Amino acid sequence: MRVCWRRMLQVASPLLTKPFWFMTALAVLGLLLCVYREFAGLYSVTALNDGYSWGLFKNFNVTTLTALGSGGYAMALITYVFNRTRYHPLMRTALLTSILSYTVGMMALAVDIGRPWNLFFMADPWAWNPHSILWEVAFCMTAYVMIALDFENLAPLLERLEHDPFPALVRDVARYAKRFVKHAYPYGVALALALPTMHQSSLGSLMLLGARRVHPLWQTPLLPLLYVLMAFILGIAFVELVLMASCAVWRRPIDRFMLASLSNIVSWAALAWLAIRFADLVKRGQLDAVLRFDFYSFLFLAETLMIGVPALALRSKPLRHTPPKGFAMLGILTLGGMLYRYTPTTIAFRPGEGYHYFPSVAELLISIGFIALAMVGYLFTVKRFAILPATLDMAVLATNRSATKGQAA
Amino acid sequence: MNVTRRTLFKIAAAGCAGVTCLPHAGAVMLNEPTEKLGLLYDATRCIGCKACVTACSEANGLVPDAGSSDGMYQAPESLNAHTKNIIKLYRASDGHEWSYMKQQCMHCLDPACVIACPLSALTKSDFGIVQWNGTTCLGCRCCQIACPFNIPKFEWSQINPRVVKCELCRDRLALGKEPACTAVCPRQAVIFGKRSDLLDAAHRRIASNPGKYYQDRVYGEKDGGGTQSLYLSHVPFSKLGLPDLGDRSVASGVRDVQESIYQNGLTPALVYTTLVAVTTHFWREHTRHAAEEAEDLGLEEQL
Repeated sequence: MRVCWRRMLQVASPLLTKPFWFMTALAVLGLLLCVYREFAGLYSVTALNDGYSWGLFKNFNVTTLTALGSGGYAMALITYVFNRTRYHPLMRTALLTSILSYTVGMMALAVDIGRPWNLFFMADPWAWNPHSILWEVAFCMTAYVMIALDFENLAPLLERLEHDPFPALVRDVARYAKRFVKHAYPYGVALALALPTMHQSSLGSLMLLGARRVHPLWQTPLLPLLYVLMAFILGIAFVELVLMASCAVWRRPIDRFMLASLSNIVSWAALAWLAIRFADLVKRGQLDAVLRFDFYSFLFLAETLMIGVPALALRSKPLRHTPPKGFAMLGILTLGGMLYRYTPTTIAFRPGEGYHYFPSVAELLISIGFIALAMVGYLFTVKRFAILPATLDMAVLATNRSATKGQAA
Repeated sequence: MNVTRRTLFKIAAAGCAGVTCLPHAGAVMLNEPTEKLGLLYDATRCIGCKACVTACSEANGLVPDAGSSDGMYQAPESLNAHTKNIIKLYRASDGHEWSYMKQQCMHCLDPACVIACPLSALTKSDFGIVQWNGTTCLGCRCCQIACPFNIPKFEWSQINPRVVKCELCRDRLALGKEPACTAVCPRQAVIFGKRSDLLDAAHRRIASNPGKYYQDRVYGEKDGGGTQSLYLSHVPFSKLGLPDLGDRSVASGVRDVQESIYQNGLTPALVYTTLVAVTTHFWREHTRHAAEEAEDLGLEEQL
């Protein structure tokens, strides 16, 4: 029988498992190193230097991983603007990946900056430099994480507050809040679409500042467009990967048709992205740099193949409908997209003067710690709230079971 | 002391002579903050004595760079958090072509670091000096990403790190003194003055020494949108680490892209309004559909 995701349902397996503790340990280790960094300075923890002054924290945890966390943006665009209501059961998963990846990204940014106490001035309009791209990124990201994403993610929390045995006042407030959220939702969604369009493109514009120090295969006035499009592609692909992995781990049924139709979008979008990428190279006369077979040429080819081959493979309908193969292809495409987002910031950034950068062990541990923290957040949330998509049968069964339990109590 | 008419003439004459002999040491007119001040470095005159490096550190209260190997004093290899000014030697692999090079902030007319700085800790202030203000600096180091000359340095090992770069000895300027590096240069290889005067001086040198200077041009007159630190050299500028930037500033390129996208905030406003129009339109349909379904199934609506 065809599996059809219609509802959201929490995962009914225990929270405190071995993987959970492992991720928690990694997260705690990373956070402890962050505390050490605050007292010891960046030099003793990171391999950052005056040539490569942005490293893993900024370029990987923020620039690269928030692209993976753009699922909430990409899926909302498809569901609410292109009015594909059938994707509604995937929205909570998408929004959860977004809020987690952005939150840990912002935390990494706070660890990365040298004088965090001056963040206070971000609240002072007279201190702003609106011409600064980094200001725009910081402003739009903060607004996105602190307002738009919180608003979008409220529903599962309010549902629990309303139905769990909380004091009557809490349940009433939750009920009214839910009604408000429902009425204000389209405005919140619009905000949650406008802000990432701005900051995801501006993450690309940031590297325009690198000017000629960014290799010409990557340095282009189209960076903002390529960055925001890649965020759209990676956002959907990552939601699919998360769903496939979650369904495999917790033995939930997979709606192959829904995932295949998303893979279809990913594949077309990735091909369109490649078309823009090559049109730009032709226009700037950089095609010969592609076939120079030096380091940057190989890097470019690797990135292009990792995006292009899966995108073409996903044109095959049978492959799209086979979760393991689709998973592999989306995985490779995601890695290629991440490579694209990371390359201009570090690998193809050439400050010269003999500077080089490879992250230190502590830096890697902090970076991994933030990823682990997001995973802890994911495990906790899907096992405590109705996030992951489920079939109607599962939903009815769960409702009946809880009703029986309620009667028994 | 009783100053007679005669001694007054003597003093005036001596003063005039002094001013004529040492044009680089002339008092700075500080009553016109819009006037761009700068440096002119002539690589053909520099003897690499590094007096300017020491004088700069002294004037700016920078501790000597102890190097990393044995804790003993080393001449710094490059600009760093203890070094705002440095003399480097370029020597071609065949050994024939060589030149000294002085590095410090270029004080660009349209600086990339200033447009990059999110909270305007870096500003183009009086006399066109690119100045750092620690009060609002986040330590985000976007200035380092943006500067095409790799000039701003960061105090990586400090808990409260500062951005370190040449500020044209603005404290000395306020006292009517010229920057430390130009004050001590024994060969006037680096001189201080108004940018327009320095450009005139540079062009006079080029005119009176045809063929001596690379491309018969002044680096910084137009490069990167123009800089207030100007360079004359007998070897290609790129050999001295002065990048080929073209005539446009990095900042103006970035500004063009950003302004063409944002249209002074009009685009975001339009985008948001359009999105609201579309989402509210479909939302009604969406909620009606969801409510109907929930009623059919006896399950509560999930937002």
